[in-house]
Formats: sequence, structure tokens, C-alpha cells
Amino acid sequence: MSQATQRERTVTLEDAGPAEKGTAPDEVIIALSPGFGEISTETLSGVSHAEILRETMAGIEEEGASMRVVRVYDTVDLGRMGLVSSNLSGSGISIAIQSRGTTLIHQEDLLQLDNLELFPQGPLLVPETFRAIGRNAARYAKGESPAPVTVENDPMTRPKFQAMAAIWHIKETQCLDEERGQIELDIDFS
Amino acid sequence: MEYIAGVDIGNSSTEVALVRNDDGYEFVATSLFRTTGLKGTVKNVPGVVNALERAAEKVEISVDDIDRILLNEAAPVIGDVAMETITETVITESTMIGHDPSTPGGAGLGTGTVVDITADCDTITDETSVIVVVPSAVDFADAAAIINEWLESGTDIQGAIVQKDDAVLINNRIDREIPIVDEVSKIEEVPRGQPAAVEVASKGSGQTIDQLSNPYGLATLFDLSAEETQKIIPVSRALVGNKSAVVIKTPAGDVEERTIPAGSVTVISQHGNSVSIDIDRGADEIMAQVEDLWPIADIQGERGSNIGGMLSRAREQMGEVTGQELSEINIRDIMAVDTLVPQAVEGSVASEHSMETAVGLAAMVKTSELPMQQIADEVENRLGTTVHIQGIEANMAVLGSLTTPGTDVPFAILDMGGGSTDAAYINPDNEISSIHLAGAGDMVTMLIASELGLDDWELAEGLKKHPVAKVETLFSIRHEDGTVTFLDEAVDSETFGRIVLLRDDDDMEPVSIDESVEKVRRTRRQAKERVFVANAKRALRQTSPTESVRYHSFVVMVGRSALDFEIPEMISDALAEYGIVCGRGNIRSTTGPRNAVATGLCLSYVGDQTSLDGTVPDGLAKSVGVAELASDTHP
Repeated sequence: MSQATQRERTVTLEDAGPAEKGTAPDEVIIALSPGFGEISTETLSGVSHAEILRETMAGIEEEGASMRVVRVYDTVDLGRMGLVSSNLSGSGISIAIQSRGTTLIHQEDLLQLDNLELFPQGPLLVPETFRAIGRNAARYAKGESPAPVTVENDPMTRPKFQAMAAIWHIKETQCLDEERGQIELDIDFS
Repeated sequence: MEYIAGVDIGNSSTEVALVRNDDGYEFVATSLFRTTGLKGTVKNVPGVVNALERAAEKVEISVDDIDRILLNEAAPVIGDVAMETITETVITESTMIGHDPSTPGGAGLGTGTVVDITADCDTITDETSVIVVVPSAVDFADAAAIINEWLESGTDIQGAIVQKDDAVLINNRIDREIPIVDEVSKIEEVPRGQPAAVEVASKGSGQTIDQLSNPYGLATLFDLSAEETQKIIPVSRALVGNKSAVVIKTPAGDVEERTIPAGSVTVISQHGNSVSIDIDRGADEIMAQVEDLWPIADIQGERGSNIGGMLSRAREQMGEVTGQELSEINIRDIMAVDTLVPQAVEGSVASEHSMETAVGLAAMVKTSELPMQQIADEVENRLGTTVHIQGIEANMAVLGSLTTPGTDVPFAILDMGGGSTDAAYINPDNEISSIHLAGAGDMVTMLIASELGLDDWELAEGLKKHPVAKVETLFSIRHEDGTVTFLDEAVDSETFGRIVLLRDDDDMEPVSIDESVEKVRRTRRQAKERVFVANAKRALRQTSPTESVRYHSFVVMVGRSALDFEIPEMISDALAEYGIVCGRGNIRSTTGPRNAVATGLCLSYVGDQTSLDGTVPDGLAKSVGVAELASDTHP
């Protein structure tokens, strides 16, 4: 292969048992919602789940931090996902991503509805944004002072996607399985 | 009962001292309001009225109950600041220099011919060693796969230049450790087929690159002659201190450091001598000439240069205020400070910045008089109260400062404001001499803004006025001096991990600058040192009859900048060397370094009949202000 081509990637998410509290001080947790990659393989605006997960992981790796990916089965609320996953993180920093694309960066000492950075308009997030989110989360874990990720703001996002977002939320809720709690995932891109 | 108000209109704030005569005079209130409009213009009136209202409110009277208002004869000076960059780094052709991405990959030094990663592997087999270029269209995993493939087929890949922030990602996926430099935004301008060298310092060592930052190292790598080595000195100099770098040898490529013609100033002394100095000779040279030619009659800047523009702007502003001809308005002092400013390198391919030499300048414009009578008439119209121009600013400041416990004639005051540093000296015969020097708070702000590369003046002001700290966790902050404070309550989540300004009211304001706390502190203290400490020495030298700082024994600091959290200490410390007692004033034992002029105005009117103790001799109080009151019927 001498000619580089941009190809569509897919991801397989394999359960690897209950997630334990991490001990590595440079670790960032990526928390996925119960239906991530299940109810859809794209966000609301059609960005591939494989792509955003890969970019988020690349952002963390580029900064030299380590990471684990977990699926949170016991909540679909983004704030709750952030809080639960940051408590599993060795550095106390986590990224929570919902199927529809809505994302935040959380720190374990923060309250559930407080967070370091919130990206409420999921449909406006592109792969580059997720790379930057991963990079910032890793820089928080390293104790640096990253400038917050800049994102677009479109007041029409809400009317355009609100109904779909509500339906997706219901579908995501159907994937809840409180018994399972938080499950660590093995990630494989192909 | 009689109320008398002293009003001091300063560059940035208008201050009021209120005195009540109820069988003896007594200070009852002080107030402060932002100066409206340019100092010394009719636009000041709303600010004056507002400040008076505030003072009246404190003693629960109406402004109309004030029987007499005393204005100061404001010093007719305006300060202005400008920055002149005197060097620039220019890259001609495409030789790339000094790029320092935050996360380079791999380690070591590699040299080879620049080859695009999308090229056909077979066409490059005749190259002994290559440096691959990875444009953003190529994904990091694909790039790593191609590099591995090439390595396997026997191509000696020595390093990589990457457009996106992918260096660590690629390095983690390849079989051999090579130096990788990323975030090269204009990668299409990297010339293919030319010899290049890539160096990345090893991570754990905390060291910087050593081969590419050494001119002989470059000469070794590129096989340069002595003549060529001389030419690449700007390249190696620009790379000193970097953790990674790329240098590409182009046939005609060149990096040069140019000196920009920055214009000149002509200083004309009152004795008629004049000297023209090029700005690019640096601040020391300019200041030495100013000192030599003191006292100065006028300073002119070369037309078309920044300094020329600034000086004529200041002149015009003053002309507008006073309605005088521009030719009658003179620039009486100039202060120059050498500084470094980050500038984008012209012709760069990775938006590199280079620290260029610059000279910061402050100028002091003086005219024969300000239209104070107009202000007095306007205030009189608005309030229907008698308004007097009671006395000259510097004299009033001396008088007011004398109410600081522990002071006595002879002594000097340093009035450090935003636009100018003023000094006055009162000798044992109660004669007062005063001067106004260019350079004060605004110049410090400008130096901080330019050295830290800030566009935001408000932010630079904040960094000047308040110490910074880093929020390390939600419950602890690390201060400038390295100490840690634990907090009872969690900080705001938006301040987490950031540098914050510690405001006086315990409020933390996050600032978005990518510098360490130590760098901010060093920059701030240096700026203050170079402006205020230098000006304090200059002012004391000029006001002493012997032109020596040592002549003085007591110095009182007043004015806005005397309220700063470190400037008074820095000056006290510097003057202690000369055996001078120097400290922040405490006017009337109550107001700190504030309100000196307003207090002086009241004192000069009522003499020593106040309830204050006898620190101000009656004769003195009357003598410095009484000239304008000859026909007045005051007690």
C-alpha cells in the first residue's frame, strides 16, 4: 500500500468485565452511554461512532496519557455518566459521550451537574472536536491548563434535532441494565 | 455649620476630601470617583459632581450644603505609550526553523532527503536515507503502516514531519524510534527532495535539542563551508531552547534577522543643544542622552515612524484640550525600556514565533496651562457653589502628604499614577520644586501585554494589579511563591487547572494564557522594576539640588500605584541602598496613599485650624496656597 486512502472504520466493543477504580495517575476514562454503537453507529448528525471514539482516544494518546473505555449501563444522564466514570478514573478526569454525540469532560471532585467542559450541542461536534476533547482531558489529567475546546454554536440545532434527540434518549433508556453497572470495554478498530 | 470640599482631578480618579467647620475644622468624609473625560477638560465636571455627591452622602447632607469647593491647578501633563519593534526574523524561500510543538514524537536526530509519504516506494530506493512528510490527508494509523512497510523493504527512514498533531500516535505504531515533529501547518511549503534534519530531545531527560541549535552541528550535518556557517547563525539561534526542530537546506533558502528602521527621536535641551538618537540603539542609549540633556525643552519624533506618530498624537490631544497651537506644546520627557515581543516569523511554514527586540516608549507632554477656570465655572454653574482654584497639584500633594505620621520638612514625595510619575521636594525653607516624568502604570501594562503576547489590555491590567496562582485541584491552589493553600470550599469548575488572578475580594478570575505562573510573575516584576524603580531614582535625582539620589532622606509614596501590592516594596527596597527612608504614605493617618491632594487643598484653605495634630505648620499651609486667595475673605 503506497497510496494512502481515507477509509471508513468500524469498531467492535467487547465486554471485559466490571470496571474497577483505576490507580494510574495519568489515566483518563472514556465513558460511553448504554446504547453507544448499539442503537446506532452514528451520532445525530451522522458522524460515525467509531470515528469519534478513535479520535478521542488519539487525542489522549498523543498527549502521552493512558486511557480505559467503559460503558455505563446504569444511567443515560450525561452528568451522572461523567460523575460515575470520573470516580473510576485514576486521574479523576473522564470524558462521557452519549450516542447522539453530546459530550462532557468531568473531574471527580465536581458535582454531578457541574463539569470542566460541556459540549451540549452534539450534532455540531465533528471528529476534530473529539480529538481536541481527548487532548484537553489528557492535559487536565497531567495538571496542565488547556484552553477550552472551541465549538460552533447554532441556535437552530435545538429545533432541528430536539424531536430526534428525545426519541434517541428513549431508545438509549431501553438499553439500561442497572445490574451490570459499569463494564470495561476492549476496543478494536478495523 | 460650614462645609468645604477639596477636589483633586487626577488622570484616572477624582478624589474629594470634605471638611466641616463647627467651631473648628474637621475632616468628615472622603470619596472617590472615576475621572470623566481627559484630565483638565470640562468633561471632568460630571465626575467631580458625582464624587462630591458621594462625599455628601456619607455625612448625610446634600451637595447644595457644601459652601465652598476647592479645585487643584492640575499639572498640565499627559502621558502616552507606544511600542516599537526593532528586529524581525524573515525566512526567505522555505527553510524552516524553530518549530516547537507541544508533543513531538520519538527522540534522536535524523537526516535525509525530504520525501512525501504518498510517493511510490520504488521511486525512492536510490536515496540512502529519507525524511518522510505526512500531510493531514493521511491518517496516523495509515502513515505508521506505510512507514513500517518502507522500513521493512529496506528504506532508511530517519525522521518524519507531520501536519496534524499526530507525532506521538505515529511513533507508538512504528517499529523503529525516529524523531517526529508535528503541527507543521503549511506542510505543502516544505520543499520535497531537499536534504533535511529533524531532531527531538529525549523526553525523560528534560533537555533541549543540542545538535540543530549549534551552528557547527548544522555545519556538520549539512556539510557547510565556513561562509555558509556564518549565514545559518540566525537558524541555530532561533532553535535554542526548543524540544524539537526541523531544518531544511534549500538551494537559495535563507533566514535572516533584520533590523527594522524604527525611526529616531531628537531631544532638544533647554540650553539649546540637540541630539538625534535612533530608536534601534536601544533604551539605555536613549535614556543616557535624555539624562545628559536634562532639562529638556522638547522632543521630536521622526515622521512616519511609530514614535513620531505617538508624539504627535500626544501633542494633538493636548492641543485639543487647551486650544493652543501645536507648536506651543512640548514633550518634556521620554522614557524608554528594552523589551522582547513575540512576533510571527515572516515566511514561516509552522506559524513559528520569534522573540524580537523592541523598545517601549512613554512620553510626557506639557503645556503652559490647562483650562481649569472653565471647569471651575462649569462646576459653579451646576451646583451654585463658590468654586476656587486653590493651588498647584504638586504643592497640595506635599501638604497633604505631610499629614502622614512620622514625616517632616524637608522631604520628597513620589506620586505614581497611571500616566506619569510625579515628584516634589520641599526644602527646609518650605520651598517646593516638582517634576513630571514619563512612564507609570500604563507603561507597565503595555510591557506586560507585549512580553506575554496579550491582545487584551484589560487582562494585562489585571495581571499587573493582582498576584496569580494556579488551581491545582478543586480544593487547593499553588501561589506564585510555590506555597499551597487549601480551601474550605471548592473553587468554580471553570477555574480548574487554570492560572487565576487573585482579586482583593477573594474572587478568582481564570485567565487564558499559556504561560507558567513563574513566567507571569517574572514578567510583571521586571516591568514594574524597569518603570517604577527606574523612575523613582530618576525623579529623586532631578528634584535634589545636588542631582544625587542620596541627597534625600525621607520619601513618601502616594498615588494610585502606591496602592499596588508590590511596587512600594520594590521601591523601598531599591532606595534603602541609598539610606533613604521610603514608604507608602498614610494621609491623615487614615486614607493610606490616597487623597493627598484633596487633603492638601483643604489644609491650604483652613490652615492649621483642623482637629489634626500640629504636623502641618500654619504658615506653611497658608503660604503654599494663599496666592490666589488674596482678595478672598476666608477666616
